[in-house]
Amino acid sequence: MKRALSGFNRSLTGFAAAAVAVLLLALSGAAFGHSPLELLTILVNGSVGSRFALEGTLLKSVPLLLTGLSVAIAFRAGVWNIGGEGQFIVGALAALLASRWGVAASLLAAMLAGAAWASIAAAMRLLRNAPEVLTTILLNFIAIHLLGWCVNGPLRERAGQYPQSDAAAAALPLFGSVHAGVFLAVAASVAAWWLLYRTAEGLRLRATGFNPSAAKWAGINVKGQLARAMAISGAAAGLAGGIELLGVTHRLFERFAAGYGYSGIAVALLAQLHPLATIVSALFFGALVTGAGELQRTANISAAVAIFGQAVVILVLIGFERARSRP
Amino acid sequence: MLQLSHVTKSFGATRAVDDVSLEIASGGIVALVGENGAGKTTLMRIAAGELAAESGSVTRTGGIGFVHQHFQLVGELTIAENLALASSTRFRFATARTLEREAETTIAATGIAMTNVSRRVADLSVGEKSKLELIKAIAKKPATLILDEPTSVLTPYEAEELFRVMRRLAAAGTAVVFISHKLPEVLAVADRVVVMRGGKIVAETRASDSTAEDLARAMVPLVSRSGSYDDKQNPEGLPREGEIAAIVGVAGNGQTELAARLRDRFPDAAHIPEDRTRDGLVAEMTIAENLALRSSRSWNPREAARHAEEMIALYSVRASGPYQRAGDLSGGNQQKVILARELSHLSHRSHSSHESHHLIVAAEPTRGLDIEATRFVHDQLRAAADSGAAILLITSDLDEAFALADTIQVIYRGTLSERMTPDIASGKVANLMAGIA
Repeated sequence: MKRALSGFNRSLTGFAAAAVAVLLLALSGAAFGHSPLELLTILVNGSVGSRFALEGTLLKSVPLLLTGLSVAIAFRAGVWNIGGEGQFIVGALAALLASRWGVAASLLAAMLAGAAWASIAAAMRLLRNAPEVLTTILLNFIAIHLLGWCVNGPLRERAGQYPQSDAAAAALPLFGSVHAGVFLAVAASVAAWWLLYRTAEGLRLRATGFNPSAAKWAGINVKGQLARAMAISGAAAGLAGGIELLGVTHRLFERFAAGYGYSGIAVALLAQLHPLATIVSALFFGALVTGAGELQRTANISAAVAIFGQAVVILVLIGFERARSRP
Repeated sequence: MLQLSHVTKSFGATRAVDDVSLEIASGGIVALVGENGAGKTTLMRIAAGELAAESGSVTRTGGIGFVHQHFQLVGELTIAENLALASSTRFRFATARTLEREAETTIAATGIAMTNVSRRVADLSVGEKSKLELIKAIAKKPATLILDEPTSVLTPYEAEELFRVMRRLAAAGTAVVFISHKLPEVLAVADRVVVMRGGKIVAETRASDSTAEDLARAMVPLVSRSGSYDDKQNPEGLPREGEIAAIVGVAGNGQTELAARLRDRFPDAAHIPEDRTRDGLVAEMTIAENLALRSSRSWNPREAARHAEEMIALYSVRASGPYQRAGDLSGGNQQKVILARELSHLSHRSHSSHESHHLIVAAEPTRGLDIEATRFVHDQLRAAADSGAAILLITSDLDEAFALADTIQVIYRGTLSERMTPDIASGKVANLMAGIA
């Protein structure tokens, strides 16, 4: 009973934070001479107001959902994987290379590559005690430059015109203009929920995240737990990159990742690290990004306002947490 | 000059200081001795005005300098800057050079050797840090100087230097109070010795009229009996099945390290950790989840809840149900949950012949528990031993050790004494714990 109530409270906090963030976003438009109500209308119409807008929102939500899951799983285990961006990129690179063997092989390669990339940081943490907050970020830069080198060098398109790769040999099936990655992403969040709350592995993972010392005394192999959590987390981000490649861009180019890895942090935090809530949270941020695109087209406000929105959500959430923990 | 009369102070249900009256005159060294938790530090913090007494009165003449057991220094700042911080809270502009010159003058006045005052405090050795604390306290020329376990981090040479300073201060009229549980040094440096036990003063004597044995007996009340060591047993060995072996000692003599080593060496054994809030339970998780942490079976919330309900009934845990957060339970009920998890884990594996599968390592299993919970824990441990478990009981509670154990060992500075039967141990434990055997 008590647990259900606190779960309800937590989702209420999330919704309230999202609502406050959207309102603040609209109000801040007033400072630039726009009517808040008009901005709000554009934002809503541009994200969920039409079939086209809805499809855009859905497509943006898929990578956000998977990078959000990636962050949620790692944070639940108490490891700070800030490397979603890099794992997303190496996932896409591996997916491109393996695409000649079909979609399944390609996505599997993406997950393995993401897991391997994250495991570099895990190994440095466990063997040399290097803080993963730093190493995962540094690995992001390495991945970004690796991608840049690939699309300007060995993986450059045969036409040789742009710094981009050829189209992948496989592609995700389409339903209308929405690719099958949507189902994969939803399945991944159900799987993540099942892992965390319905398996002994998930129980130990959460125990390790809450209190590694008590976990150790209860006979849990804390180091192994961290290593596995990091690998699973990296696999989710890698899968995001693979799906984005096979479903949306089909080609790799330098700015391929577009901040999805970092946005995953906001997605996970708004969902309070719960895998199923991450679906709702990813849809919200997907809508925000899509709506911000519409703002740019019609009201000439930079689409970067979506990033501003993410920041506001996190700040509002922190504010709520503070207010709640005060008494 | 310091006068305490009928001072009382409680923390929760424990009387830390119980109706204590004490007078400390100028120009002498008074040692305050007793086991951990006897109330020495609390009494002195009341004397210094850091804590308020519930009843009783404190009269102070002149200032009080208090050197705490835990350093109160700013590691990022230099020696000179730390001394400047302590000497004045007034706002002023000063160059590093000025502060260093002042620091050198201050240090010279105390007669303690300390050079190169531009060093960062974080880079100093523990011995030097404790010297700096002493300089800070003496620099204010207090009428009474209180030192809380000052020698615990010092080398013998550094301790000698400290004693010289103490004697000089006493000769110049300062009242020096010296908290310690190292009896040989107490007898060497103090004029008067005050023994505390359970929040009360139980003995008071001139140092020249007393021996370490007398003081140890006053600190730890045990009837002395004669007997000899049973030297056939290996002190490092594990207890036999059905046996409870106790390891006793003053806290901080290596018990924590021993328990951690046993945990790493026998991960499959049952472990009841000393620090139950930090190591025992995951406060954020439910009782059911905590109980399932050791289980090798797959995790099924419904089954786990059913198991938790059984355990809650069996161990009479006062909880609203299996979904209650473990962190919301009282200390005694948390300990019951830990016992339930560890003991059922053990009985689950008792068919195995591997020795560690019968082992229970219980560290301070009743610390902070009320009488009823304590009795419950003791009953459970006895029952486990009766059904074939081998129990290693690490405790600083001698009553507990003598009530439960078949054999007793003393741990002192990381070394275990030989294993003794309770009869033999009762005459030796006090001295062994104080390191004078």
